[in-house]
Amino acid sequence: MERDSMSSRPLGILVVGAGAIADLHVAAITADPRCVLAGFADMNADRARTAAYRNGGVPWTADLAGALARPDVDACIVCTPNDTHENLALRVAAAGKHLLLEKPLATTVEGAEAIVEAFTRRGLVLAAAHSHRFYDYARTVRDEIASGAVGRPTLVRLALLGGWIWPDWRSWVIDPAKSGGHALHNGVHLLDLVTWWIGSRPVSVYARGQRRTATELDVHDYLEMVVRYEDGAVAICEMSRAHRPAALAQRDVVVQGTGGLLTLTWDGEGPLLWDEKGAHTLDPGVAYGFAAQLGAWLDAVTAEGAGTSVSGEEAATAVALGVAAERSMALGVPVEVL
Amino acid sequence: MRTLGVLLAGSAGAGHQNHQAEMYAPGFAAHPGFRIVGATEDRSGFDRADVDVVSVCVPFEHRVEVVTAALRAGKHVLVDKPVALTSAECAQIAAVAAETGLVCLPAYHQRFHPAIRAAREAVAAGRVGLPWNVQADFLVAGGGPVWPYGELLNFAPYATDAIHAVTGLPVTAVYALARPVEGPEDLVTLCLTHERGMTSTVVAGRTPPIAGVQGLSLHRYRISGSHGTLLADATRPGVTVRGEKGTRTAWAGHGTVHRMLTELHAAVTGGRPAELGPADALAALLLVEAAGESVATGRVVRLDNEQARVS
Ligand SMILES: NC(=O)c1ccc[n+]([C@@H]2O[C@H](COP(=O)([O-])OP(=O)(O)OC[C@H]3O[C@@H](n4cnc5c(N)ncnc54)[C@H](O)[C@@H]3O)[C@@H](O)[C@H]2O)c1
Repeated sequence: MERDSMSSRPLGILVVGAGAIADLHVAAITADPRCVLAGFADMNADRARTAAYRNGGVPWTADLAGALARPDVDACIVCTPNDTHENLALRVAAAGKHLLLEKPLATTVEGAEAIVEAFTRRGLVLAAAHSHRFYDYARTVRDEIASGAVGRPTLVRLALLGGWIWPDWRSWVIDPAKSGGHALHNGVHLLDLVTWWIGSRPVSVYARGQRRTATELDVHDYLEMVVRYEDGAVAICEMSRAHRPAALAQRDVVVQGTGGLLTLTWDGEGPLLWDEKGAHTLDPGVAYGFAAQLGAWLDAVTAEGAGTSVSGEEAATAVALGVAAERSMALGVPVEVL
Repeated sequence: MRTLGVLLAGSAGAGHQNHQAEMYAPGFAAHPGFRIVGATEDRSGFDRADVDVVSVCVPFEHRVEVVTAALRAGKHVLVDKPVALTSAECAQIAAVAAETGLVCLPAYHQRFHPAIRAAREAVAAGRVGLPWNVQADFLVAGGGPVWPYGELLNFAPYATDAIHAVTGLPVTAVYALARPVEGPEDLVTLCLTHERGMTSTVVAGRTPPIAGVQGLSLHRYRISGSHGTLLADATRPGVTVRGEKGTRTAWAGHGTVHRMLTELHAAVTGGRPAELGPADALAALLLVEAAGESVATGRVVRLDNEQARVS
């Protein structure tokens, strides 16, 4: 929706869910002059208050309805557990606010479609926080493909490997009822990225999962997801929290196209440090990605710029892929993407 | 070192390939353990006393006949890859090799690459713990297709053989994708399940030429285990040389064919089986056939490993 010339005050943004990832969104809000942090809403009042205190004493509440009724709240960033996204997004839409919603859009295809429909119907801007799209490595790959440097992609490999151990058994991310399973929780990052790079319609997924950290896990900590696209391209996505050593953090990208080969080598991103514990590549950092992600959404909200935010439709495709991957793992067969 | 006499039999291969002239003859000629004593396009010379090893590159329709004739004549054999076009033919060769007890080495020379050897030794020494996944890429830039065959038969077995050499885990199921749909495939993706629940994803194919790349543009294996992760890049070791004419890499060590011939020599002179034998060639072909079936049906195809176990 376009804002008229009278509304020169910055957009007020309410952060819903004051957990781990909220900090990165808040840092991005603070850095962008087009918006202000209007406050925090979290069902856990302590968390909302603590976050508000740490951010200059902005308003906080455990009552989302009240917060959504505030006239100085123009838009929301929802960063709560995955299974709450659908309900919260529909409430944000009903309140007439724009939304940057954390990934996955929803944990079911129906839920994702309902969210997209609700925002489209009201002419509100919905964007999904597929933050990898805004990281330099991902944009570089996209730019190179778009420039025609490698021709049309025929094979893409994307691996995000880590050995990060899940906090403990109470963590919602390892409860498939809350996270949707690992293919929806982290897998969607990769599924969205490769689909964006390839630019064709995904037709089938064959996924395999393992439980390396503990056989008692209800989610797979290692995923191998192979997606076939309408134009014949194939993408191999590996998402891992299962690798050892636990400190491993490795990204791998290969794009083989009809006109060339793109690779991101293991040491291609950051400086290399040798210390008493061995060799380490220094983390290139993700903070700027969150700023770029916020900026793209604000562009769309204020109808400035080219609109590079991740649309609800694209995020719904990633959900459909994630759901297909979970189904493929459960059945042990390739699954069509609907 | 005992010098073994080599008879070169045939000069055919998959498609336009002539591995005899391009790889094996120069390999034998340069190896101190061998001496080429003659060449034949049929089966003549198999009874010569100065022949210890027959290097077989005859057309596929004569492979079974020529390899088994050489074995029955008491000669050790190096067989071009693919050993045969079907697993049934390969099984016939395997049976005769087993019966004669002679060395019959299928030329999957990539497993002798120093990077793959180092990976194999590290895995065998427990450096990554128990392997649970392998990712492999085997992409060759440029060169002509091996018409009418595709890269599922031509290149993919190099990578699957290397995985077997490193982990020792036979394949139990395959889901495969290939492109282009219409023709002999130039790019395949194999999703393999192995014994002990290990999985692997293998990419193999031939791509358009890349400036500065001779042959393999991407050849690597990532082995993930219970206690570590190993990345073996077989485009290394190498130095990178940049000049007016572009960039290239170079390394002075022996190539994979030379190293394979060293194993052939050691097996023959040591009176022991080669580490790579007809059973490996049979496993490779059974996998190629199962993958072909998966491409055609879009299904996961299970493998019967009893078939691959030749006594
Ligand atoms: N884009 C990324 O890179 C990235 C990284 C991590 C997490 N995430 C996503 O961000 C979201 C949040 O993850 P997190 O790690 O910050 O989780 P978290 O558990 O640290 O925080 C979630 C917060 O939401 C609150 N909450 C739960 N249900 C609520 C409800 N119904 N209404 C209001 N508040 C509620 C909780 O009290 C908690 O404070 C998830 O969707 C996750 O998938 C994205």
